[in-house]
Amino acid sequence: MTKVVIVSDRIETALIGPTGPEHRKLANKVMEEALKQARLRFEDLSYIVATGYGRINVPFADRQITEITCHAKGLYSLLPTVKTIIDIGGQDSKGIRIKDGKVINFVMNDKCAAGTGRFLEVIADSLGVPLNDLGKLSLEASRATPISSTCTVFAEHEVTNQLANGESVANLVAGVHESIATRVYSLVRKLQIEKDIAVTGGGAKNIGLVKALEGKFGSPVLIPPEPLITGALGAALLGKEKWEKARLDGYTPTRSKEGLQEAKLFT
Amino acid sequence: MTLVIGIDVGSGYSKAVVCEDGTVRSHAVMPSGGNYKDTAKAVSEMALQKRNLSQRDIRYTVATGYGAGMVDFADETMTDISCHAAGIHRIFPAVRTLIDVGAQFSRAIRVNDEGKVTLFIMNEKCAGGSGKFLQIIARILKIGIEEISELSRGSTKPVEFTTGCAVFAESEAVSRIAEGALPADILAGIHNAMASKIVTLVTRVGLEEKYAVTGGGAKDAGLVKAIGTELASDVLVADEPQITAAFGAALIASERISR
Repeated sequence: MTKVVIVSDRIETALIGPTGPEHRKLANKVMEEALKQARLRFEDLSYIVATGYGRINVPFADRQITEITCHAKGLYSLLPTVKTIIDIGGQDSKGIRIKDGKVINFVMNDKCAAGTGRFLEVIADSLGVPLNDLGKLSLEASRATPISSTCTVFAEHEVTNQLANGESVANLVAGVHESIATRVYSLVRKLQIEKDIAVTGGGAKNIGLVKALEGKFGSPVLIPPEPLITGALGAALLGKEKWEKARLDGYTPTRSKEGLQEAKLFT
Repeated sequence: MTLVIGIDVGSGYSKAVVCEDGTVRSHAVMPSGGNYKDTAKAVSEMALQKRNLSQRDIRYTVATGYGAGMVDFADETMTDISCHAAGIHRIFPAVRTLIDVGAQFSRAIRVNDEGKVTLFIMNEKCAGGSGKFLQIIARILKIGIEEISELSRGSTKPVEFTTGCAVFAESEAVSRIAEGALPADILAGIHNAMASKIVTLVTRVGLEEKYAVTGGGAKDAGLVKAIGTELASDVLVADEPQITAAFGAALIASERISR
């Protein structure tokens, strides 16, 4: 997903739109939507920061900052007591340790789909359950079916077989949440986990997965009101800081010369 | 006439080899499906019928592979690792490192000069270096798995995949196709991604020539070539690489009755 957050002294607008399979063509479209929603023109924006997996594909951004830094910044502005962030996105999962809004350490898995949102997508697809319904459905489970395969491909088979053997969809979904929580826990425990713990990313919208994570981490977790936008919010706040500091120091920060357009092929 | 049979019930395919005094008389291969017990029976019948034989002509049966335990008519079951080693040793006695690319798993097996296994490493946690990866890509390209090798030969600019994960590679392939990448370049890129996963396994058992590739993956000449490039060495492939373990099982069966 592509997220746009526009800030002034407050959050002017926040919008979530599709990234699409080529993750370079739609950033401008989502931006246009966000401007429309905020009743602003592109020229009204003083500074633009892009972050995330496709941050180099935003030609109209003035600066790129890694999502780790942006997540920490955004989350700190919303939930200042948090010291450990668990981010479960569609392409990766991460653990970030923060102190006063700054990153002190992080771990990331983007090598293997297990433990990421993709795992959920694949299983939801083969069970024929909409992604957004997984959380609620899993709360009806009488047990979490153990899933022995780590690999998404093998787990998908395992789940299909279990389904054919009469296991309930709710139990299987609960098992899948358990499997992801286990993977994420074994990743994040490499950091020195400190409370409070927050969960962000698409995974935070899944109540079943959040409960499973709470079980693994042995602690309740905090969830920001809109868990998908923390990275974009952090990017906006960092952009604002950068621009304000430049003005204080008496200069105008360099801006991108590209207008609001889609990224070109870079091959 | 002392006939024996080796049956390898794999996670993807089942294979049967009928041997007479260490020589292959007949063989059969069929998809394993969901019922290993029936498939084992069917594949051995199929191999026997090719030579107008029946189960009664068989002196000894050795079963191996993922579903070996389901072969209730076997006299003995053996691990597929030992059967692979026994089979490849008879076909290529000089092989010291065997790479088996199966439907679900890939394995690297070290074999000594007597055809005995000295070390093996198996990748059962990840579909990255397995035949499953090929199936996934064949599906999105809407081609048969047996067409992959031929198609990949036309590649001039293999796509560089940033991931060894079959799930992530699938979406990466979809993106590259949308950008206009040719099927040949996608396939050659997948071969390279798989080869690098497979060769990390081989490195862990220790690199020793000569190398051979077995299993269904060995039927994909493009993959074998990519493995060879990654190893910087020649790689041997038997005429029927998929039946290596079943052949090994039959050789072990022959040994049992000659004692």
